[in-house]
Amino acid sequence: MKPTGILFFPAFDWAISPTHPEREERLLYTRDQIFEEGIMDLPQIREYKPGLASLKDIARVHFCVPNVEAQITEAHLVSAGSALVMADAVMQGEVRNGFAIIRPPGHHAMTVAHGNRGFCNINNEAIMVEYLRQKYGLKRIAIVDTDVHHGDGTQEIFYHDPEVLFISFHQDGRTLYPGSGFMEEAGGPLAYGTTINIPLLPRTTDTGIHYVLDHLVMPILEEFKPDIIINSAGQDNHYSDPLANMAFSAQGYARLNETLAPDIAVLEGGYSVESALPYINMGIIMAMAGIDYSNLREPDYKPGRLKEPASNMERIYKIVDTQLNTFRRREEVIEKNRRSGQMFKTSHESIFYDTDYISESQRNELRLCPSCGGFRIINSSARHPNGREYNIACIQLPIYACPGCQEQARDAYTTMNSSDIYDLVYLQDRVKDEYRSTDTRSGEERIL
Amino acid sequence: MLIGIDVGGTFTDGVLFRDGQIVKSVKKATQEDNLKNSLLQVLDELLLAQDKEQIQRIVLSTTLVTNLLATGRGEKTALVMLPGYGLPHDSYELSGDIYFMKGAVDFRGREIEPLDKGEITELLNWIKDTGVKRIALAAKFANRNNVHEQMLKKRIMEECEGVHVSISSEISGKLNFPRRAATTYFTAMTISEWNRFVDQIEEALKLRGIKAEVQVLKADGGTMPLAASRTKPCETAFSGPAASTMGGSALTRDKLNSVVVDVGGTTTDLSLIISGEPLYASKGAVIEKQLTHVNSFAVRSIPLGGDSVITAQGVQPYRLGPAACFGGEKATVTDAFNIHLNLNLGNVAQSESQLKAIAEELQMDTPSLSARIVEEVSQKLLAEVNDMFRQWENEPAYKVWEVIHQRKFALDRVIGIGAAAPALVPALAALMQVESFVHEYSPVANALGAAVVRPTLSVMLHVDTQSKKYTLDPGGISGTLEKARNFQLDHARAMARQHLHIVGKELGMEDYTDDADFFLEEQFNMIRGWDRTGKLFEVGIQVAPGFIKEYEGVKI
Repeated sequence: MKPTGILFFPAFDWAISPTHPEREERLLYTRDQIFEEGIMDLPQIREYKPGLASLKDIARVHFCVPNVEAQITEAHLVSAGSALVMADAVMQGEVRNGFAIIRPPGHHAMTVAHGNRGFCNINNEAIMVEYLRQKYGLKRIAIVDTDVHHGDGTQEIFYHDPEVLFISFHQDGRTLYPGSGFMEEAGGPLAYGTTINIPLLPRTTDTGIHYVLDHLVMPILEEFKPDIIINSAGQDNHYSDPLANMAFSAQGYARLNETLAPDIAVLEGGYSVESALPYINMGIIMAMAGIDYSNLREPDYKPGRLKEPASNMERIYKIVDTQLNTFRRREEVIEKNRRSGQMFKTSHESIFYDTDYISESQRNELRLCPSCGGFRIINSSARHPNGREYNIACIQLPIYACPGCQEQARDAYTTMNSSDIYDLVYLQDRVKDEYRSTDTRSGEERIL
Repeated sequence: MLIGIDVGGTFTDGVLFRDGQIVKSVKKATQEDNLKNSLLQVLDELLLAQDKEQIQRIVLSTTLVTNLLATGRGEKTALVMLPGYGLPHDSYELSGDIYFMKGAVDFRGREIEPLDKGEITELLNWIKDTGVKRIALAAKFANRNNVHEQMLKKRIMEECEGVHVSISSEISGKLNFPRRAATTYFTAMTISEWNRFVDQIEEALKLRGIKAEVQVLKADGGTMPLAASRTKPCETAFSGPAASTMGGSALTRDKLNSVVVDVGGTTTDLSLIISGEPLYASKGAVIEKQLTHVNSFAVRSIPLGGDSVITAQGVQPYRLGPAACFGGEKATVTDAFNIHLNLNLGNVAQSESQLKAIAEELQMDTPSLSARIVEEVSQKLLAEVNDMFRQWENEPAYKVWEVIHQRKFALDRVIGIGAAAPALVPALAALMQVESFVHEYSPVANALGAAVVRPTLSVMLHVDTQSKKYTLDPGGISGTLEKARNFQLDHARAMARQHLHIVGKELGMEDYTDDADFFLEEQFNMIRGWDRTGKLFEVGIQVAPGFIKEYEGVKI
């Protein structure tokens, strides 16, 4: 059998700030544990070297303001690039699956990037998904976000994309950052039902999550038939995590990955650096490599101590029913939306960047295209920490865009370029794999 | 006068080196079942008509430990493992029966499960019942806290007479429990035989009235005193390839990127010198298919040598005696090079006639066949060299800085070592379009390398200021910090350096400990909540491979 690929990039020389949860120490004990176990020496494991993402890989997903370089550090290029290395190894058949244990994380980063949100600047999984579509022509992709925090960035990026199924289970947004991820958030008008949120009550244990997995996540995946399954693998559902209130165990995480059988897992959050991460990372590696994990447990783990409250299970049964229904009705709802008679669907958002303290307001327009998922125009404005205010226009043309959308989107870019309403105008042309941005003051255009 | 002797698998080489010149060299077939004799024969021949008083230093390199393990003559040893929680027990494939016990510590060295009293009694009874005399003890994270290993060792020594116990924390301070266990196990298996060998050598030298210091070559390309090797026999495994690499380095002594090609009769060993520094195997030496904590050069051994036989099917991975031009019965790689490059080696007519027979079989002429063989051999070696570069370039990296500064290897030169090097290496270098280096001393560069390399020593320190504990390697030493509060990286550096000086003094290598450099410096703030509760340091300092002060290069 082919080995499991592991890319371990702890970024021992990168931190958001010295005492921030995203600091050098985060994967130190994980390093100690996996190196001491000698798991990288096993024939079932193949270790990979980190790689660098290109600016184009990032521009394929994000509208970075004012440019890609301004939103990233070298660490981000390595972290995202490492996810791509793992993706290549899996796609080229060198390994049967792969786990990128990398930082900085990315799942709170949204399409427009003005700064850092929830410890994230750019979205590693989304960058990997668009790379997989461009390079390997993958059509249907499933992302299962197992971080305790709602993967609002990834959700937003694929909200209007009917080909990417995004399932997130997390601690209920009423009790935890980022305060979103409710069942009503089910996808845009032409991508309804491919965003599935599973908000779990605090103190949910392995029992609860495995019920969700067996009765909701796995049936949906079977029906969706994705070309690839990606686990956005946060580790903060653990009972010892300092930033959340759930009650999963390392064994629970291992079993989760055994059941889910992701092709690629990418580390997201998880800040119980000593009591949880070393053991969860071991568990995920072992489960993905088919190694018996029954001898793995946290030093303070007491079987039977963590009991699922009955009220949690009641809630879970309801979620499973509701969301199965959401998923199965998706085509019907989409057809109805398509025939609404509107040309564009407009919505407004305000987005707060907690780490960088930026407030962004957005106006979103989606073309209700009769033959594809439609293209999107985002108008965004925000004042950056340096005092500069940006007002930008972003045109996003998905890879599956029909000729009609392509023409309209490209025309819109040309038109907006010559107006002076916006500081910057972007065209993300995934059909041509070409990423343009124009500074309207100077008229300078950059093409990636 | 310096003496270097390398007891290899096929030949034992020895040189006598004085004033920048090899005064005498000896080559003898190795008696596989009596390495000591092979060694002494070569020594005696080197010493003929020499003033023994003039000998300052003798360095030995031997395959004894590798042979013992490869031929299953290691002493019967019980491996006792305390693997704690994590991988299943069947992931450890070290020996048929491993004795597993409870008891665990974590990465911070905290006990997370005590030893089980009942199990200790059972172990002691089991040792007495089986009559096993060698125990290798290995506990996970014993390098951070060896309390369980120490306690078990004490109990076994107290209650089981004549039983010798090796513990993993004294063998290596590095992370990687299976490698530490394997190294401890192989140490326990070979330690008594190695000590017998050391006794015999010491006695033989005494008998010959030699008072020079005697050193043993290690896999890391440095030496240690013969006496110090008594507790670390595994360090001597793979000293042969290290001798060749250091020999190549001794002859060139510059900062170029080189590949050292040691062409033997049956095999060719490849190693890399990057900016003048030999490249280490990132995962340690592989002994008996097990990764170990023995620090060794990254050497790739290819079953292709000067005496590899040629048939109509091409180059074969075996040897049936010397090349035809040197009196052998079969056409060999050397014969093909002899014809193709007009090397004029030995009896050229013999090369010609043996190759002709094969050429006729293939309906081609002898020059074409020779050219084809030369091409085949060169391409094979080239592919291996390129693969070694790629592997080196693709070593994992754990810091942003290391990834941004991508490693890129540009080869400057091929250094030829071994008897067949003059025949093969220039052609290989030409194909690779780099400089070729073959020296008059190339055939005995391994023994020369042994003769002139200096001692090496590596010290690792792990400090945890929150628990106020530290551990030091070598020796499996642990202790409590006196001033944990304001402990900084400079303090850690000073501690490591001090330990290096202490151990260096014990090993009689004070002359070299001032040349030590830090090869590892890690420090992490421990944050709990939003406050710093401590710091973790990992510091490594070493006397890297190099040459003794007396050595100033060769004079020819």
